[in-house]
Amino acid sequence: MKILIADDDAISRRLLVKTLQVAGYEVLAVPNGLVAVEHLCKQDGPRLALLDWEMPELDGPAVCREVRKKKDQGYVYMILLTSKGLKTDIVTGLGSGADDYLIKPFDSEELKARLRTGQRILHLEGRLVEARENMRFKATHDSLTSLFNRGVIVDLLGREISRSRRERVPTAILLCDVDHFKNINDTRGHLIGDEVLQEAARRLLLSVRSYDYVGRYGGEEFLIILNNCDPVSAPRRAEEIRKTLSDTLVQTSAGPLSVTMSMGVHQTQNWGVQTVEELLQQVDAAMYAAKAAGRNRISFTKPNTSEVAEHKQPAEPAQSLP
Amino acid sequence: MKTIATPSVLNIKELLSRVGDDHELVIELFSIFKFEFPAYLQPLTDAVANELPRQVELESHALKGMLLNLAAARAAALAADLENLGRAQKIPGMREVLTEFQSEAQILLLQMESVEFQT
Repeated sequence: MKILIADDDAISRRLLVKTLQVAGYEVLAVPNGLVAVEHLCKQDGPRLALLDWEMPELDGPAVCREVRKKKDQGYVYMILLTSKGLKTDIVTGLGSGADDYLIKPFDSEELKARLRTGQRILHLEGRLVEARENMRFKATHDSLTSLFNRGVIVDLLGREISRSRRERVPTAILLCDVDHFKNINDTRGHLIGDEVLQEAARRLLLSVRSYDYVGRYGGEEFLIILNNCDPVSAPRRAEEIRKTLSDTLVQTSAGPLSVTMSMGVHQTQNWGVQTVEELLQQVDAAMYAAKAAGRNRISFTKPNTSEVAEHKQPAEPAQSLP
Repeated sequence: MKTIATPSVLNIKELLSRVGDDHELVIELFSIFKFEFPAYLQPLTDAVANELPRQVELESHALKGMLLNLAAARAAALAADLENLGRAQKIPGMREVLTEFQSEAQILLLQMESVEFQT
């Protein structure tokens, strides 16, 4: 484990370095508090630190305060080294954010034991962070496909529309529905249906840029948000995405399957006063239009939003590909 | 290995137990001290001469830490006396303690020179 030693006293520093190297630590030794803060606040900086109290520029307690203030990811376990043995000094040191203190001259066995305590706490913190991240992932992602779930993708759509309005940049919304999915489930079974959805999700994710969004909108429906996608590129991008599923058979445990999808596409930078729900209704209507036109194709929303809103199941998309 | 010199101003036994009987490290620590000590002593001497108690406190505190790490208890105690005088802003007496500290430090340096380890 990596450990930082900050001490302006060369003898103390050398003693600590040697003791900790022998104990198996990867040691980084610095002679003042400013450099210590710099290292401890790095993303991959040491998570264990031994800080001398008295140091030029920034003393040990000040290092603790700076690290606690700046560090927003990953806990740093800090031990103050001091020859100040007064109770008030110890209270001050711990009050600055230090986790522990050791009186100089230190006993090497005691030092190692205290560092092991620090490691245990860091390990526990790591497990807690991992558990929190797992919970966060489960709360925001679909368990079958690992894509964003409906709540998150709709929320992202709202944010993206706000950004698009504010910055006057075009955005494309794609609603994809796997064709004849009920038939796959009925004839091949739900496990094969799940495999198809997983593969479709994987291909959709691979077909977009890192800053686009893909989410599972419903059973076999996926919502894609293409940021900064201009009117010329949108149909081409939508076609490429459609083909990622139709052009290559999906390998399932029941054998290869030909799977296609129909897609409703809405592309604009003039959002007007439409709500997210209204936009989703429009793109949903376009997707149904693609289904009605024979499936495995793309259908674009009509420019006049009121027309679509009046026809929940439109039969006439503005344009249909292929 | 057997220690053949254990000067009284320098508790070699204690120092060795602290460093896991690492003779090479002890020799290295002594050479660091010999190199670093003048750079610590000069500002302390200046602070006493210029009657700057806060400076005396800081410089002697640093020396105290160094000397404690080397198990040089007598010199460390004198450094602690200087630190306390500085903290209490008691200028009278500082010069005398400094003189005593300087001579103790000279003895300590000589004893460090005399330390050798035999296999």
